[in-house]
This record gives sequence, structure tokens and C-alpha cells, in this order.
Amino acid sequence: MSVQGITQTSQYLTFKLDNEIYAMDITTVREVLDITQITKVPQMPDFMCGVINLRGSVVPVVDLRLKFGLEKAASLREACIVIIEIILDDEETVLGILVDSVQEVISLEPEQIDPPPRIGTRLKTQFIKGMGKKDKEFIIILETAKVFSAEELAVVQTTDDIPMPETPGGTTAENENDD
Amino acid sequence: MNESNRFIAEFYNETEELLSGVEDAVLDIEENPGDQEAVNRLFRAIHTIKGSGSMFGFDTISEFAHHVETALDNVRNGTVPVSKALIDLILVSRDRITAMLAEANGAGPPVDPREGEQIIASLKGLLRSDVAEVPVDEFPKDGPEKACVPDAPAPQNEAVYRIRISPDPDIFAMGMDPVMLLYDLADMGACSVMVHTEKVPDLENLSPESCYLFWDILLTTTKSLNAVRDVFIFVEDTCEIVIETVEEKAAALEASTVPRSGDILAECGDIHKKVIDEESDTLSKERLKPAQKEQKVVPQTHKSAVASTVRVPSDRLDKLINLVGELVINQARLTQVASNINDTHLGESVEEIERLTGELRDSVLNIRMMPIGITFNKFRRLVRDLSSQLHKEVELITKGAETELDKTVLERLDDPLVHLIRNSIDHGVEPPEVRERTGKPKKGTIILSAGHKGTNVVISIQDDGKGLNVETIRKKAVETGVIPENAEIPDKKIFTQILAPGFSTTSEVTSVSGRGVGLDVVKRTIESLRGRIDIDSVPGEGTKITLILPLTLAIINGLLVNIEDDFFVLPLMSVEECVEIKSKEIETINGRNILNVRGNMVPYIRLRDRFHIAGRRPEVEHIVITNVNDSRIGFVVDHVIGGHQTVIKPLGPAFRYNKEISGATILGDGTVALILDTNVLLESA
Amino acid sequence: MAKVIMTVDDSTSIRQMLNFTLNQAGYEVVEAVDGQEATDKLAALHIDMLLTDLNMPNKNGIELIEWVRSMPKFKFIPIIMLTTESDTEMKQKGKAAGATGWIVKPFKPEQLIAVVKKVLR
Repeated sequence: MSVQGITQTSQYLTFKLDNEIYAMDITTVREVLDITQITKVPQMPDFMCGVINLRGSVVPVVDLRLKFGLEKAASLREACIVIIEIILDDEETVLGILVDSVQEVISLEPEQIDPPPRIGTRLKTQFIKGMGKKDKEFIIILETAKVFSAEELAVVQTTDDIPMPETPGGTTAENENDD
Repeated sequence: MNESNRFIAEFYNETEELLSGVEDAVLDIEENPGDQEAVNRLFRAIHTIKGSGSMFGFDTISEFAHHVETALDNVRNGTVPVSKALIDLILVSRDRITAMLAEANGAGPPVDPREGEQIIASLKGLLRSDVAEVPVDEFPKDGPEKACVPDAPAPQNEAVYRIRISPDPDIFAMGMDPVMLLYDLADMGACSVMVHTEKVPDLENLSPESCYLFWDILLTTTKSLNAVRDVFIFVEDTCEIVIETVEEKAAALEASTVPRSGDILAECGDIHKKVIDEESDTLSKERLKPAQKEQKVVPQTHKSAVASTVRVPSDRLDKLINLVGELVINQARLTQVASNINDTHLGESVEEIERLTGELRDSVLNIRMMPIGITFNKFRRLVRDLSSQLHKEVELITKGAETELDKTVLERLDDPLVHLIRNSIDHGVEPPEVRERTGKPKKGTIILSAGHKGTNVVISIQDDGKGLNVETIRKKAVETGVIPENAEIPDKKIFTQILAPGFSTTSEVTSVSGRGVGLDVVKRTIESLRGRIDIDSVPGEGTKITLILPLTLAIINGLLVNIEDDFFVLPLMSVEECVEIKSKEIETINGRNILNVRGNMVPYIRLRDRFHIAGRRPEVEHIVITNVNDSRIGFVVDHVIGGHQTVIKPLGPAFRYNKEISGATILGDGTVALILDTNVLLESA
Repeated sequence: MAKVIMTVDDSTSIRQMLNFTLNQAGYEVVEAVDGQEATDKLAALHIDMLLTDLNMPNKNGIELIEWVRSMPKFKFIPIIMLTTESDTEMKQKGKAAGATGWIVKPFKPEQLIAVVKKVLR
């Protein structure tokens, strides 16, 4: 059984978060970096760990564990930052994703991908494009456009007395901020 | 052809500028009908549009411009007087040409030809019936250039022409060297030339500036008689030209070998050519002598009084600025690395590079600076049109038009300024009757002024209208739940409520304003430029809206500070002083954070707390005292590292709502430092 | 050595086109936006031919032609006027001032070169 929308064999970059394997379509991935100095930006939700200097550009980094409600990583030894390109508010934006480790690039045919399960995963269904299967392992293929949409990323945290623009979209049940 | 695209792009640019000049000139003439200079300017602009329009294929625009030009020509020579009808018509024509340009450019909808015809009919109507109109279709098709292009169907038979050229002695003064005519003829076919020197006087009587020669030529060519005639089109007045068709070629051939009675025998071409050349050499040498004495090389020892400009596409400029920005960053790094190496030579070089980089950065940023007068000028027309539309009388006064701003900032200011002016005219300035009743002059005044203050540009729009009613606004704000009922809020803050989305106290909505849609967009635009809006008003006297904007968006002069391992940059312009303070000396008075600095009370923000930075407070902290909007405020940090100038890197849409952070910058060692917006920090203190 | 032609016209787009066409044909070009700039530049320059518009601010084409003819070094150089079809009066004035010939706008690049060749080689 295949997933609507996946009609051809594509390549995916796989990575690990808390011992589960995830994947992203390779076309959005620009490059992969070893973990580097992340400058924290105050007043941001926890999953926005900060920004890095990528050859002169300032690129924001998202801690994917925290974004998905997992606990913060115990060790950052193998951690990598995956640099992706997405459209945010009609603008092409570069974003960094902090993951436990990066595996490899694989090819998956449409037949190897099942639609996302309704229950059983902690992720919102819309974040998952499909479930891939390779070598007896399940791979959670992420719908990057949904995971890193403007609503998901730009959460307001402010305490001004004069009103600020309203929070766009809704804060998802996702953002259980573990501290 | 790629080149023609370039010309066309230049044509669009140029015509846009000309049209803007047309508007200015017309408005000047309206104010001062006797301004002949403005009339001439206007005429020339339309004339140029007509000319270049036809050159680059914009025939409809050129034809339309022709009609406007005719009307203006008559204004120029006084046959048509300056009237409101004329002014309106010229303005309408100008708009029409703008629309036609936009259509041609693909930037606008197709224009209705009937409108164009109406305008042309009105223009013609302006002309009195006894005034001759320049006929459009009197294009002399017999320009010389037409003949110079090869004839389409060339007569295949060869014909022989006998041509006598007898130039006026003064032909050289016309810039015409008769030898050019001979070359032209020689291009058309086989030529036998004989020069007559009979009229050349003795040396004593010979004037080297006169031509005493005349020529007989036999030309064998497939070209037509007309083509031959066209060779002489420039010299019809200054030469006597006789062209005769000789018999068919065969006969002519015979003629060339057998002497014919009465006819001048054309000798073998070579010899005569040599004679001609010698003659022309003599003449040319004489002519060229004074010219040859001149320098061949062209060094401009004279500075032309005319300032020259170069048009540069914006994206090239942006690229240049980015490169300079990168250079600045890397130069900072170089300086840092070099400071750890004790080498005088290296140190000297690095210092020099620092100086040069600074100069380069300043020069490049300066390129993008343009005077705000350009934008101000557009508003003259706006005010005129709006006032008449809204039945008010308003005069626009501008000050500080020479104030320069970054081009990008200037472009983005257009819409907000238009909106604010609209508001002033619509809601601020009262109708003339009301003004008279309240003892004000019938004509309302709007003062648009601009100036530099530190690293900021301050632009204000001030009207002498009815002002803002604090109570009405407060009530509305309470109604919509924006502010609590009994809150003590200073008037200035109440006024800024009108900038909130959807806010409107008018019960009516005019086509011009009142929907409450525009002002919040103005606010957002100004904020996106890292600027601020201040509003001040006195009921019955008027309202003043002030925009404060940074001079440039690209580079910041900042003060680098750190708290633990986090680095921040504070805009240097607002920094007054830095004071070292022991943590226990910092007081809290009435629960508010205030510091006593040499007897003055300065409120402060401890950034460590504000930003929830983990770690223990050091024993000695530093407080950076800044002046923000005439209020002093201190920021407590761990260390003040020093002045730091660098390129601002935007943080991107993900951080859009983090208003305290206006951007980021990369330090010499690659660390990212966050740039703080002191205004925002102050407001939320 | 290439011949030098000075082009004078207050329209930037037309100057660009003239310069490009003349350069392609092997001539060197010097520009001026109006009669005043032209005379300023000509004080120190040598040119082989002048190509000028008639209707310009700051010293129009007629005045420029008169000035050029009054300079001994330019007394005999060819001068071509750029005219528009309705300019017959101006054309006459130009001739009286000493212009060699004229070309009517609009014209194609080939036409320009043909006219130039009539007076300058």
C-alpha cells in the first residue's frame, strides 16, 4: 500500500532521535554539520536553541527533540545540525535542525512507504508523511513543510502591557515544554 | 538583440524621469504662469519623449506626445494662454503617457484608446482656430538616409551617368569635403574622375579655405538615377550638380576608347585618382594642419561643470554592499589576529587596511543615499489633487529636502508618508468655512520636514488642523479593551493607539481614509525599518507625527558587551557612558530598579535577569547608560568589551516576534552576537 | 587611428544608441548632454565630426554649431544635425549656422552609419 503524494522513488536522509529513525526528503537538505557553537537567543521557546554562524550567515537552529516533546539529549557527542531550506511566510529560509546523529542517504520506492498510523506515535499525524520500511526497520518520514511551518516556529512569548500582534495559528499540543 | 533591450530599459528609465519633471514643471507653471523657463523645460521634456519614443519603436506614445508638444509649442510662443484647463489637461496627458508606458512594459493594464482620443481632442480644442497645427503626416520621406540604404529592387542593367560637380568656393565652411562625394560615387560602381583645375588662382590670390576645383565623373552603376541624386542631398544648395544619363553601357564603352567631339575624355581612372588624391591631400593637409597641432589624446584637463551620473542596477549595488560587509567582518578578524602577533610591519599594514576598509564602507553606503526631496516632490501633486477632491484648501511646505536617506528606506517610506498626508488632509485640516469661523487662515498648512539627528533621520508631518481628541481615543481604546478603564497613561501613549489595527474614531468612512486600515500598516512598515512613530497633538491647533528611522539598514556602530558567554551589541549612538558598579551598590527604590549616578537617578534593566541567563552575578558589573528618546536608562551587563562596527545580519522570520533583538552580527572570531533594540527594551521596562 | 565623433543629445537613451552604433562601426565617441557641456569638453578635445540634437537646454544645437564653426580647429569638420520631421525652421537655421547635413528622427542604426559615411571616412 502506498501513500498518496508519493509517486516516485525518492532519496531521504535518515537520522536518529532518541533511538528512533526519522527521515527527510533529500531535496530540502542543504548540508550536514557537526555540532558547533550555538548562540542562545533569549525569549524564545526551548526548542529554538539559538543561532549559528554558517559561513557568514546567521542561521537559526531547532532542537528537534524538544520540538517533538522528547527530553533534551543527554550527550551531544554525535549530534549533528542538518541544514535545510524551507519556505517560511513566503520567504526562502535556511534552518538548522539539531539531531542525535545522522545515518545515511537511502532510496525508498513508493511501495516501501505506508501511510502514517493514526495512533501510536507521539507526533501529530500531519507531521508524518509516511512510514518507510527498510531492512526490517521502521522509518518515520517527516513532512518538513508542516513540522517547520511559520505557526510552529514563531511562537510569541512576551509580557508587554500594550498589545502585540496576536499569536498566529495555534500553539500545538506538541509544545509540551519539559524543563 | 540584447543591446536594444538595454536601450529600451534606458528609455523607460529616462522617460519616467522626464514625466516626473513634467509634473514638477506643470505645477510650477500653475503657481507662476509667467515662468517661461518652466514652459521651456516642459516643452523639451515632451519633445524628448516624442523623439526617443519613435526611435525605440514606441510609436503610439510618440504620436500622443506629438499632440501635447504642439499644444505646448503654442503656449511657448504665447498663442495659447496658461489656464487651469491647460494645466489639468497636461497633467492628464502625463498620466496617460505613464499608463501607456506601463502597458508597454507589461506593468500595467491596456489603455483605452478612446480616452487617448478624448485627450487629443481636448488638446486640439485648446488651440485657437487660427493657430496652425503642425501636421503630423508631413514627415519628409525623402531624407538622405533613406537613399543611403540599398534600394530594394536594383535595376539590373547598368547605366552610365555623366556627373559634373561644381562646388561653391565656401563649401569647406560647411564641413563638407567634396572628396566625400567622390567616395560615395565610387562606392556605387566604376568611376572615372577628372578634376578641373582651371579655376585655381595664383598662389598669391589663393585662399586655402576655398574650393576652386570642379569635377567631371563618369559613373557606371546599376543604381537608379535617384540613388545617384541622393549622394548630393546635403550639398544641393552649395554645389552645382549636373547629372546626365549616358547611352547604354556598350555605347559608353565605345565612348571611353574613342574620342567624342565636344565631350571631355575621361582618362584611365588611376592617373586621375592620383591627381585627385594629390589635390585633396594638399587641401586636406592645409585643412588638417591646425587640427593636427591639437593633441590626439584626450586628457580632460578641463573639469566639466556638469555633474555626471551613472545609473547602476540595484542588485549590483546590493552585491557590492554585501561584499563590503563581508570585508568589514573579515578585516575585524584580521585586526584581532594581528593584535596577538607582535610584528610592527604587520601591525602597520593591518592598521592601514582597517582605515581603508572603513573608508570603503562609508563610500559604498553613501552611494545608496538619496535626498528625500525626490519623495517630497511627489507629494505636491498629491496634496493638490486631494485638497480639491476633499474640498479643502491646503498648502504643502517642505523643509530639509536635501536630507539623505538610504534608497531602500526611502522607497519603503513612500506609502506610509502618502497615508499620513492623506490623513492630515482628510481628518486633520478643517474645511475652509470652519477654519474661518475659528479664526484660522482659510488655507491649511501641512509642513513636511526631514533632518538628521545622530545616526537617525527624523521626518515629521505637521498640520495646523483640528488635532486629536485624547478623550475620544481613550474611550475607544477602553471600549475595545486595549487599555484598562482607569489606567494612568500619558497622552503620548494614548495618541499612539490610533496606530492600532482597526482603530478608527470616525463614524464615517470616506473613500480616502477612515477605514482604520492604513495606520497600522504605517506602524508596521516603520517598525520593519527599525524606526519609531511619535504622535503629538493639541486639540484645535494641530497634529504632529514624527518618524524616527536609522540612517542605514546595513551596518551598525555598536558597543559590544557580554553576560557570561553570551555577547550582545548595543547601538553606540544612544550610549552615553559606562559605569562600573559593585553589585551590592545597585539599589531598588520603591520596587523599581534605579541607580544613583553622580546624583542623577537612572532606571536600569539587568539584562541577565531580563534574558534569564543562567549563572551567578559577578561582583563587579557594568552599567551602560543610554539615552533613548530623551530618557536615560541603564543596562547592566558583566563586561563592556568595546566599540564594534559590523554588518547586521537579519535573524529571519523565525524571530520576527522577538522585538528586543533587532538582528545579529558576527564577531571577528566567528561568534554570533545579538543586537539589542534599546527602544523596545526601554518600553517594556 | 579611429576617427572621433562627438554626440550631443539631452536624451540618455538616444545618446546610448548613437554611441553603441558608432562604436560598432569603428568610430570613437565622445558624449555631451547639452551644448554647454559640449563646448566645455571641446576646449581641450580633438574631434573629427559632430553629431548634435537641436533642441537642448543650456545652449541648444544651433548655438553649439555656431560656436563650433567659430573655432579655427573645427571650422571645417562635418556637422550633422539630429532633427525631427516638423523642424524645418530649425533645419534651415542649422544650415545657416554651418551644419553639413542632417538626419531625421526616428532613424535606424544603418541609416545613421550611411549618413556618417557621407561626410566622414
